Amino acid sequence: MASGNLPRRIVKETQRLLSEPAPGISASPAEDNMRYFNVMILGPSQSPYEGGVFKLELFLPEDYPMSAPKLGRICLDILKDKWSPALQIRTVLLSIQALLSAPNPDDPLSDNIAKHWKADETEAVETAKEWTRLYASDG
Amino acid sequence: MGISWSNRRRNNHPHHHFLAPPPPPPPPPLPPYQEPTLYPATNPPPPPAPHPYHPAHAPYPVPPPQPPPQAPVNPYYYHSHGYNSCGYPNPMMGRFSYQFQYQPPYYANQAHGWPTAARQSQVGPPPPYVDHQSAKKVRNDVNVHKHTLKIEVDEENPDHVLVSFVFDALFDGSITVFYFAKEEPNCKFVPLFPEAYMPAKIPFKKGLGQKFRQPSGTGIDLGFYELDDLSKPSLGEDIFPLVISAETHQPSSSNDGHLDDPVSNTSAHMQITQAVLEKNNDDLFQVKVIRQILWVDGVRYELREIYGIGNSAAEGFEDSDPGKECVICMSEPKDTAVLPCRHMCMCGECAKELRLQSNKCPICRQPIEELIEIKINSGDQ
Repeated sequence: MASGNLPRRIVKETQRLLSEPAPGISASPAEDNMRYFNVMILGPSQSPYEGGVFKLELFLPEDYPMSAPKLGRICLDILKDKWSPALQIRTVLLSIQALLSAPNPDDPLSDNIAKHWKADETEAVETAKEWTRLYASDG
Repeated sequence: MGISWSNRRRNNHPHHHFLAPPPPPPPPPLPPYQEPTLYPATNPPPPPAPHPYHPAHAPYPVPPPQPPPQAPVNPYYYHSHGYNSCGYPNPMMGRFSYQFQYQPPYYANQAHGWPTAARQSQVGPPPPYVDHQSAKKVRNDVNVHKHTLKIEVDEENPDHVLVSFVFDALFDGSITVFYFAKEEPNCKFVPLFPEAYMPAKIPFKKGLGQKFRQPSGTGIDLGFYELDDLSKPSLGEDIFPLVISAETHQPSSSNDGHLDDPVSNTSAHMQITQAVLEKNNDDLFQVKVIRQILWVDGVRYELREIYGIGNSAAEGFEDSDPGKECVICMSEPKDTAVLPCRHMCMCGECAKELRLQSNKCPICRQPIEELIEIKINSGDQ
């Protein structure tokens, strides 16, 4: 898709994401659809996800920025009722990165993991580290 | 009313200051608007709640007696923080401010009600669609730069302190410094303790960026007042510990204004700065400006800051400057502020678009009651 009919804001956001990427975050548009981004977020240091690379797909709906970007299953209020058009792709990805640093078991995506986290945080963190090694590492 | 002035001086010499324990910290301001949201700071963080100090009642229950025929019922006067406080020379500095005239239905029974209205609207039904209003400029003939306001020790009279600040004036006029002055109708100020300090008018000539300092020997010994009284307004917001009245007289006007002459007060152009005094850790007084009032042609305007106006297109819009662009389209210069939260963040087109879908400010998510378009073009006047 050509970028000719792409809103100016999306073009600008894309340019800024590429020219000044946020630390630990990369987002690049797909060649055939400038509203579709391949995202990589590095697991934050000092978190169980350190060393992992977390891949996401992000899609900007037709009425973006009046409505939020579409992402996978992530429980984050700014992607839902707390979305504001002043937020951007960059701020959304930074929020996700921050969520990895500070998981919120009180508002979980998975009840089971949240229960585990609350019952035995040490063990849950070990599981998270293990899964990061198994499923989010290059090797 | 709780304020006392005593003939016995409170001992607050620095080397004795342990005898006069520091005052309890002032009551904390209303908690800033907090979102439980992760909100990375690419944009500046939302400012604190806009009214950390106002009481729940209208601060000025008596409307001006002779409003001009088209006078706004609820005039708020906005001025640019960037205009007043930034240090670079700007020929427009302090000269213009913005006022809008639209009165939304919420204010119907309130003289100065939007702080209260803002709270009520949190639970009320969403406001009807409000097309945005254009700001009306009110020329500010004299402007005290509130961030420059200081209390300094009078070197020749170390028990006494002097007030100093920087100000702009388009015409000749005078400055009057009051302590514990009560606001009366027609923007008249009356000192509560004239026996302790009798305000005097100090004339000035027109000019921008002037420094004002009370002449040595004309200061006050604040040791006669309780620190607690100095640190807050009283009687609601009628009495402030420190009030600076700056007034100008246009050449055509012949009045030379006396303090006790109410007629001159209705024709003069005044800017009032109301402040409290707090002691810092070094035992020095610091001035905290609570409010500024403008009195023009018999109409009283309250000055409020608009967040983000300093980053707006006033100093020229460049495509690559993220601080000046509309947060929604990121293409046009922002020229529209949201009320009551006072975030200047959008262009007019996006503001219209937003109002079709949402009633929340994009920056702080407070309900939008009005949109005000503010054009700042130096060639405008």
